[in-house]
Amino acid sequence: MSQRHSIEGKDCATDVDPPSIPKRRQELLKWNGWGYKDSKFIVNKDNHVEFTGERYQLSGHTMTLLRDWMIKTVGISLDHKTPPQPELTAKDMPTPVRNEEFLADIRRTNISHSDDCQDRLFRAHGHTLSEMFILREGRFSRMPDLVVWPASHNEVVKLVELANKHNVCIIPFGGGTSVSEALLCPEQETRMIISLDTSQMNKILWVDEKNLVAHIECGIIGQDLERLLAKKGYCTGHEPDSMEFSSLGGWVATRASGMKKNIYGNIEDLVVHVKCVTPRGTMEKSCQVPRLSSGPDIHHFILGSEGTLGVVTEVTLKIRPVPECKKYGSIVFPDFEHGVACLREIAKQKCAPASIRLMDNEQFQFGHALKPESKSTFTNFMDGLKKFYITRIKGFDLNTMAVATLLFEGAKKDVDAQEKRVYEIAAQFGGLAGGAENGERGYMLTFAIAYIRDLGFEYYIVAESFETSVPWDRCLDLCTNVKDRLHRECKERGIQFPPYITCRVTQTYDAGACVYFYFGFNYRGIQNPVQLYDDIESCARDEILANGGSISHHHGVGKLRKRWLKKTVGEVGVGAMRAIKEYLDPQNIFGSGNLMVGDPEESAHNSSNSNVSLPSKL
Amino acid sequence: MYVLSALWNVTLVRLPYIKSHCYLRRTLILSSPGRKIARKMSGQSRNSWIIKDDPRLVSARQKDFFVDIIDERRHTSDIGWALRQREVPAYKYNKARSPAEIKNDVLKSDRVKYAVEKIMEESGASLTDVMKEAESIVDEMAHNLRVGVIRGFAIFLVKVMKKLFQRVYVNEEAISKVRTLIKEYPVLLMPSHRSYLDFLLMSYVFFHYDLPLPVIAAAMDFMGMKFFGWLLRNSGAFYIRRSFGDDQLYWAVFTEYVQTHICNGDSPVEFYVEGTRSRTQKSLPPKFGMMSASLEPYFKAQVPDIMVLPISISYDRVLEEKLYAYELLGVPKPKESASGVFKARSILEEDFGNVHIFIGDPVSIRNYSVGSVDRTSHSISPRYIASLSFQEQALIQKLSYDVTLQQLRNMAISPWSMIAAVLLQNLDGIPLRQLVKEVEWLKRQASNLGAYIDYPVNETAEAIVHHNVFTHKNIAKITEDGIVELVSDDSMLVDKNGDNLMTQAAQELMVCLYRNQLLNVFVRVAMVAIPINSCVKDTLLIAELRSQYQLLEKLLNQEFIFMPGQTDQDFDMALSCLTRTCGVIVQDGSVMIKKSTNKYTTFFSQMFEPFLLGYWVMCRYLLSIQNGAHGKPLVKLPKTISKEAQVLSSQLIRDSHIKHKEVLSLDMMNNSLHSLYHLGAVHKEKREGKTYMYPNLVLLSKVTEDLSKFIEVPPMPQTTINMDTKTVVVNAKL
Ligand SMILES: Cc1cc2nc3c(=O)[nH]c(=O)nc-3n(C[C@H](O)[C@H](O)[C@H](O)COP(=O)(O)OP(=O)(O)OC[C@H]3O[C@@H](n4cnc5c(N)ncnc54)[C@H](O)[C@@H]3O)c2cc1C
Repeated sequence: MSQRHSIEGKDCATDVDPPSIPKRRQELLKWNGWGYKDSKFIVNKDNHVEFTGERYQLSGHTMTLLRDWMIKTVGISLDHKTPPQPELTAKDMPTPVRNEEFLADIRRTNISHSDDCQDRLFRAHGHTLSEMFILREGRFSRMPDLVVWPASHNEVVKLVELANKHNVCIIPFGGGTSVSEALLCPEQETRMIISLDTSQMNKILWVDEKNLVAHIECGIIGQDLERLLAKKGYCTGHEPDSMEFSSLGGWVATRASGMKKNIYGNIEDLVVHVKCVTPRGTMEKSCQVPRLSSGPDIHHFILGSEGTLGVVTEVTLKIRPVPECKKYGSIVFPDFEHGVACLREIAKQKCAPASIRLMDNEQFQFGHALKPESKSTFTNFMDGLKKFYITRIKGFDLNTMAVATLLFEGAKKDVDAQEKRVYEIAAQFGGLAGGAENGERGYMLTFAIAYIRDLGFEYYIVAESFETSVPWDRCLDLCTNVKDRLHRECKERGIQFPPYITCRVTQTYDAGACVYFYFGFNYRGIQNPVQLYDDIESCARDEILANGGSISHHHGVGKLRKRWLKKTVGEVGVGAMRAIKEYLDPQNIFGSGNLMVGDPEESAHNSSNSNVSLPSKL
Repeated sequence: MYVLSALWNVTLVRLPYIKSHCYLRRTLILSSPGRKIARKMSGQSRNSWIIKDDPRLVSARQKDFFVDIIDERRHTSDIGWALRQREVPAYKYNKARSPAEIKNDVLKSDRVKYAVEKIMEESGASLTDVMKEAESIVDEMAHNLRVGVIRGFAIFLVKVMKKLFQRVYVNEEAISKVRTLIKEYPVLLMPSHRSYLDFLLMSYVFFHYDLPLPVIAAAMDFMGMKFFGWLLRNSGAFYIRRSFGDDQLYWAVFTEYVQTHICNGDSPVEFYVEGTRSRTQKSLPPKFGMMSASLEPYFKAQVPDIMVLPISISYDRVLEEKLYAYELLGVPKPKESASGVFKARSILEEDFGNVHIFIGDPVSIRNYSVGSVDRTSHSISPRYIASLSFQEQALIQKLSYDVTLQQLRNMAISPWSMIAAVLLQNLDGIPLRQLVKEVEWLKRQASNLGAYIDYPVNETAEAIVHHNVFTHKNIAKITEDGIVELVSDDSMLVDKNGDNLMTQAAQELMVCLYRNQLLNVFVRVAMVAIPINSCVKDTLLIAELRSQYQLLEKLLNQEFIFMPGQTDQDFDMALSCLTRTCGVIVQDGSVMIKKSTNKYTTFFSQMFEPFLLGYWVMCRYLLSIQNGAHGKPLVKLPKTISKEAQVLSSQLIRDSHIKHKEVLSLDMMNNSLHSLYHLGAVHKEKREGKTYMYPNLVLLSKVTEDLSKFIEVPPMPQTTINMDTKTVVVNAKL
């Protein structure tokens, strides 16, 4: 098949900056792991962990404490490695299903497309543990048959029309950072599947400074959006941890949440207008107003629809002037419970900084282990002093301590005032200011962890994160009980090494909080670790629901969490969602099978059970 | 459900395992330290590695899985022991609190606040007033567990134990499990309840093994006793009113008080599923209130799990035996005062034999509820508003029954129970030789049914019987010509009828108490044996047998513990027991009656005969109640009905129509009334806040007839009995 790439970024002529991620993702990104090829954790010749590349603060640094921490907490051994399989090639992939009439029609348009096996492979998955394991150890039994790169709303309209006409399945693809198996192709899909990659729709179409909104194409990724707006002195302030790679359309489609939502709001608060191309036609409002009373908000049909109803093509987002001042901070608490009480109080007084996160002791220790080798003895000395002060003078126990990381943004005087207020409240809960550096390192951990998981993969570690939202009164119990459940399940299922289980309260709201868990274990001596991981995470999700928590705060349902959807919104709720689907997409063109579409039991485990055949080389 | 069905299987195979296991253990213990000494004392032993080759020389400090924990207390200082450093495990999420802080936390809790506000709204009372009331409730309730007092108490307790008992056995293997459990999850201790001593013993065991002292839900009875009330409060007892109806504030304080202990894991929480002491020694059908309150924190996801420990405490001789006998008869106990259990110093001079404490397998409420409970139903309302789903309530009931059944299964049954059972079928006395034979036979049957019989292996059956009769010399004796018979009470209390019937009955009831300890072992096979034994046809269809079993279960389910909904499985299991080991023959779906009525079926039936007889008397009494005005049946208070039925019984006994004085038990009468109510043969009616009862003659006649088919009933002449002032006419009309 011919490939027609629009090689020069002539479409993006409005802006000289090329997008950060190239159309051929394989040129820059890892094929079987997280992020840039040049950036990864490695064990260097001194047997120390080092972070390569030069993109990040950590790049080029050696983390002298990390190896021992990994040995101690999860029992890895540097002698026991699990290297990944060699790069998959065409022969390892299913032959594409071809809908010849559709192909003939698309050739008549000017829309860029490709059936190159690497293009297809890069769009066959998101970043869940099971998907990563398919890449490292297995094969996809189903993947997109064709990748298309529409360059504008109109091209999307054309594509959807053709797909509808020829009964071809479309799965929209934004940044590929999904962690819900939303991008996985349903195994039983017999129609041709096309991956509609939005990455070439990456322009800011206009900025309206009077109303402080910008009209933006859906394929732009977070880092590009902020960089381009910053040139004009603005920002959206929407910063999910995946912002280097995830796209605006993806955020809308998953109801994403950014770290700084306390100031800027979550995606649903930021969206002023959305254009969505469905098989029934384009759905949008005719006005760009701050609020509307006209029945159920049609934006909310689209927000969180996970690619099941249509393609989000253009979005009008609120923007803000770039803040004058940005400041990190941290608070050290004697234990997690005091921290939760403090966060609750800060939320009650509605004075939360742009971001406030409370890490439990395990995560605090992890953050500590990520400390790069200190270049100056003075910093070491200072660290020693701080530790002395906190543990000896204040009587904190290093093994129960919890740390809140803070990010303040705004006008200098507002930040100062807010800082003062937050630390005052903290003091009432036994909290001590722990310095900016600790805070910053906390945020670093968030992005580092996605990379560090790949290092774990090399040493028999499977790990993943999951999250939930919960009312305040149940927050602490939920954290305790879910951790306890995880530990217990690990023990009862014969995992021999201590699992790594940690959580943080990562967002605060008036009526509750978002809790984020990391869970990993050393699977040496165990069959089918992915299935085991999955089973245990399911137990944790059951426990979360029993504790009054939700199916998800921001990761979404996808296929991974479908089985809890009915429990969450009820039979009538699912029925209503299905009715919308039925009206907008009666042929199930948007056939990714996420959320309310199809039977939860059938597709939920397509990836880990049957799609892969993992060699049991253990 | 699976737990109970497992019950039969498991217990049936358990015994041989235990025996061999204990044998192994004993040899190990003896051989290792003895090796050197034995060599020196060569010649004394045929085998040099054996130091005591006469089994009678081996002490009973250890036997099977039990270890006597007061043996060592007889050799070293009690004070040193009581004051020793104790390394006590703590729940991993516990935050240490003092009893005063606990009270304070309760008063400040959302639950109490919520109740207080509601009461203020409803009654218009002021906050200070309602809070004051809440405070006084907490003060009345709260324990004041203090190590200092505990240590003092321990010294006193150990002295009492040593005086009262020969040995206090504990299945020690369970202790290390309990240690780890306590660190992991909140623990509920649920001992059987047959004596006031139960909770003293529990605390004693926990003190002995360096475990955290439990806090104990106690009835208010003790609180009144000045010193003792104080002592118990300071040793961890907290007091709960027996009934507090819809007193919202009391409910809130009580629930919060119990739950806060569980959520924070301050101490193991101990209570009795049976609710109160089983005066009859049979176990009472479980109550659900305390269980619900303690498990709610799990359903509301306030704790990761809760562990329930069923504990069985068996006494060779029950401290309160006499007290119970009189209580059951509803007449005051002569001589010493009823409450003065511990004042009576003379009791310390007596020998109460051994106590066996068996800590059963822990039940994790999480595992127990997998698949049957959905805790998410509590997600959309605050957790301090009491609520349990139907599934949760059903589960709590099932668990309560399971716990009670497990307690029963793990009881150590004394040979005396079997002697009592035989004696009650031979009220005129039985030659020792024959008694020994019968007891041995009965012991085998009980073992086959999975009971743990505390039968010393190193003594002859004769010696065992001798010993046991001696321990119970106040109720039985061996005459010079070798007849074993009941002792009649020496107190010459003569009642208004001019005889000492009640005193005699009390003597007999004391024997019943011990037989009762055995009955739960046999009740299911007996309920199959009774219809077989009383059948007048040649064959009995299994289906018919089953329905008679069902009827018997419905009748007797206030007396014995049956898992609701498991009647059919129980029946199948019991029938197969009878066919496999007791000679009952089934052909073509019918029992062959002639071939099947044998010693087994007869003995089993006769063990339960007094109950059916008692129930029949109740029926006859109810049938004799005359209509009141307007053709409406006369309503009576249940208490009155029982009392009047008892009068009928005494008449029948005096006229020698009935031999078993046991039917005079008011407890039996109450139970029968309740069963008849559940069968629809008696109705309830509320009048002026009190519950009255009256018979449904049609159903009642039917039940009476059914009963008279199972047992031989006395003729019912028309008699007039004098009740206080009224005259009751009992006639033979059916
Ligand atoms: C390391 C890491 C950190 C993360 N941190 C956060 C975080 O802080 N907050 C957060 O909310 N999420 C986070 N996520 C999850 C993920 O980044 C979000 O779900 C994100 O919104 C997905 O965007 P994407 O562009 O990558 O979408 P994709 O992964 O490409 O697609 C996600 C889903 O949206 C659909 N979709 C994509 N684009 C469109 C479109 N234009 N129209 C219609 N449907 C579309 C797809 O079909 C798919 O169902 C994180 C993920 C990772 C791996």
